[in-house]
Amino acid sequence: MKRKFGTSFFILIIILIFAAAALFPFLWLLGTSFKGAEELFSYPPKLIPQNFVTENYTGVWNAVPFELYFLNSLIVVIVTVILNVLISSLAGFALARLKFKGKEFLFVLVLAAIMIPKELIIIPLYTTVLKLGLADTLMGVILPFAVEGFAIFMMRQAFLAIPADLEEAARIDGCSFFKIWWNIMLPITKPTIAVLSIFTFIGTWGDFLWPMIVLKSQSNFTLQVGLSYMMGTFVNNYRYVAAGSVLAVIPVILVFVFAQKYFEKGIMAGIGK
Amino acid sequence: MKTKYAYFFLLPTILLLSVFYFLPTIQVFYFSLLDYNVFGENEFNGLSNYLRLFNDPNFWYAILNSGIFILVTPILMFLSLMLALVVRETSSTIKLFRSIFFLPVVTPIVIVGIIWRYIFSEDIGLMNYLLSLFSFSSVPWLTEYPTNLFSIMIVTVWRGFGYYMMIFLAGLAVIPKELEEASRIDGAGRIHRVFYIIVPMLKPTLILIFVLSSTAAIKIFTELYIMIPGTPDSNKTLVYFMYKQAFENFDFGYGSAAGVIIFILTMGFSYINIKLMEER
Repeated sequence: MKRKFGTSFFILIIILIFAAAALFPFLWLLGTSFKGAEELFSYPPKLIPQNFVTENYTGVWNAVPFELYFLNSLIVVIVTVILNVLISSLAGFALARLKFKGKEFLFVLVLAAIMIPKELIIIPLYTTVLKLGLADTLMGVILPFAVEGFAIFMMRQAFLAIPADLEEAARIDGCSFFKIWWNIMLPITKPTIAVLSIFTFIGTWGDFLWPMIVLKSQSNFTLQVGLSYMMGTFVNNYRYVAAGSVLAVIPVILVFVFAQKYFEKGIMAGIGK
Repeated sequence: MKTKYAYFFLLPTILLLSVFYFLPTIQVFYFSLLDYNVFGENEFNGLSNYLRLFNDPNFWYAILNSGIFILVTPILMFLSLMLALVVRETSSTIKLFRSIFFLPVVTPIVIVGIIWRYIFSEDIGLMNYLLSLFSFSSVPWLTEYPTNLFSIMIVTVWRGFGYYMMIFLAGLAVIPKELEEASRIDGAGRIHRVFYIIVPMLKPTLILIFVLSSTAAIKIFTELYIMIPGTPDSNKTLVYFMYKQAFENFDFGYGSAAGVIIFILTMGFSYINIKLMEER
């Protein structure tokens, strides 16, 4: 249906305003990361640096163990994603396709876990991690987030949607439950696994409060903890922090661009549609 | 067919949820009744942590500030619904714009805070420069209370509108097209259609967004930690209060008591929302 010119013009303006608002702070960060010392405090502020310098990028690698931050973030994210996918698809499979005593009770527990926000139990969580000897380790960051109630819920929904005959045929052929899960069920739920992995990746990459509490030594910092630390120590060297932030945001933007189609799907799944 | 193998599939989940969810949930209630010593013996001290909380002005400030943060909810609802309505069509250009709106959502909060702290900076920041162009005097965006809370709310809106827009789009997608067509044929104007046809149909989505946005508001922490670290405790919110008691003052008992109160507040929220959902 055709719209009046006035209406489409109005719509275009709204879209452009929001797009500019969404993008501008990123451009500002990018511009700042290429500014020299004298230009950082120049007034009026300029979006595009007049003297384009790359020293901030080398500077941040020399000022802090930035490559370790990056490596630690990668380790934490990859292990967290793998554990979440494996553990929640095991649990989701059992809750969706198997019959056993206590099934309803266990499902209620999963729902209860969704309702407990991690922030509120962070103090006993920390004492637990201390007792397990995992303070200041990447394992201490990873393990409490290795399975989430919501991930189990999502995987269960995916397994529920698979027709029963498929499973029965496999069982007649003499497949074990483990084989059914690994060879038949997992491949079918790939789209859900993709959504789950991407959301876990983005969420874990940006996580701050918990890693900040657990990690004490610089060499164990993740990127977010490292950036916050730099913000505290180099308050006047905002250029380094800006360069570090640009580097730290690149992976999420890459994932976002390449996994675009899964985002809308994930949000639909997230609201239980 | 019944099978005992199921427990094998559920073993890692049961183990991890018990150790990292359920045990800590019980413990946070227990800790709140203790004079917790990180290096020594714990002493049971009844409700005195709670009494201390209720006499701590900074705790009341934290409740007030978290309450103020919930004000982002109606703003976010309005902006993201408006945006969702204008980007409903799925041409490829519109899709590109949708992705742009979603970019702030996937950006780590620490980095968001770093960017905006600089934009809001009083003497060299962009905000005050823009104000000066219109010959307004400069605003202490981050240093003065309660202005700094409103600055952080701007950031929350910036980071959230794309997310809630997506949820609204999902909600809009299930509204039958015929309904809107019918009202269009009846001669209803665009605004009329939005308020009398679309908004009532979106009630479940509106409630969902209300829940998501309000609980996120109560739990806000990182933005404050990055953007206004040096400001007095009276400028902080609930989770920040809890963090400070536990991990800066090492008063785990007192911090846990604050945690329990936040727990009850958010549970109250979920309860109200479940009630609201039952109504429809």
